[in-house]
Amino acid sequence: MILVVNTTEDKEISGKVMEQAKVMGKDVKVIEAGNKKIGNCIGCNYCWLKTPGECTVKDDYEEIFKEIIHAKELWVISDTALGFINHKGKNFFDRILPIATMYLKFKGKEMRHVARYKSSPDVGIIYSGEADKAYLNRWTERCAINFESKSLGAYSTENIKEAVACM
Amino acid sequence: MHVVIINGSPRVKEFSNTDKILAKFTEGLTENGTTFEQYEVSDRKQWDAIRTAYNTNKNILMAIPLYVENIPGLLLEFLKTFAPKNDGTQLSFILQGGFAEGSQLRCGEAYLEILAKELGCEYGGTLAKGDNFSIRFFGEQTRERVTSPYKEMGREFAAQGNFKSEACRKFTGPETFPLMIRILVGAMFATVARKSFKKIAAGLGCTKSLKYRPYK
Repeated sequence: MILVVNTTEDKEISGKVMEQAKVMGKDVKVIEAGNKKIGNCIGCNYCWLKTPGECTVKDDYEEIFKEIIHAKELWVISDTALGFINHKGKNFFDRILPIATMYLKFKGKEMRHVARYKSSPDVGIIYSGEADKAYLNRWTERCAINFESKSLGAYSTENIKEAVACM
Repeated sequence: MHVVIINGSPRVKEFSNTDKILAKFTEGLTENGTTFEQYEVSDRKQWDAIRTAYNTNKNILMAIPLYVENIPGLLLEFLKTFAPKNDGTQLSFILQGGFAEGSQLRCGEAYLEILAKELGCEYGGTLAKGDNFSIRFFGEQTRERVTSPYKEMGREFAAQGNFKSEACRKFTGPETFPLMIRILVGAMFATVARKSFKKIAAGLGCTKSLKYRPYK
């Protein structure tokens, strides 16, 4: 499954993604999360140490998380702020922590958390607004390393066609 | 010199590793007369006071735990309300994380330079160091041993006025570990560390396997 989560309130962006996906014959599932209640990660680490795999913050994120663990690809649509994705987009990524366990291992030359589920989604970003594209690509690469998956890249909303072509 | 210190951790002060690092850092910082005031982003009631302190001071230090390769979402939410200063304010950073290698902090560190520019501040450098995950779980003696090197970095910041010195660069430690160390530490991860994590979990009241999958 290709999962697209729109953390902005602009449904036109996800509409364009769906439209383009239809043209290219790709099956995508879109979740509109712009108005959902998704708080920030509070750093309690309970998802690793007290309630393994389960976030202690009880809000709308849990239902989306249940979809993430079955997704082959995860695309996050985010507004930008301060040259990066904004806090709503970042909160979405911060809250993905239960996908990993507390246990550690080496993968290549770096330490990694042992994954909780059998597979993790590849990750892509579609951003709306001004941002440092080179940095966003670098950051997406690093996120993917943490998920033990691959980066699908960071694309401005002006390049939705390009993003959907990578799905 | 007077420094406004902002703890950017979303974790409450009592359990904040970043706060424990700052406690040691500020011991060194203040030895020769430098003063500071410290705020916690985790406490939304402080946000107005932080904004005032940020806007009326020219030496700002943000201490930040690495969250998914960058700054925590809560800190981003707070900072988006800031207008660019463009008045010569210096913004420096302490970046700390759980993984031990310096390489794991570089993506986050690169953003901090972008962030300083976005906020219209001069970049005062970043003191980056990992291997800090367990600080809050340590007993007093081990915590003292792990955090005490930050005291020297507090002295260094007071002396240099930023984190751009060679001593600060070296403080990070190795970018990655040699193969033999990775083999040894990897073996520890599979044995001693797992036991230790299970013990911490049990202490928190966890009754499940740490590999438990709550969702099918």
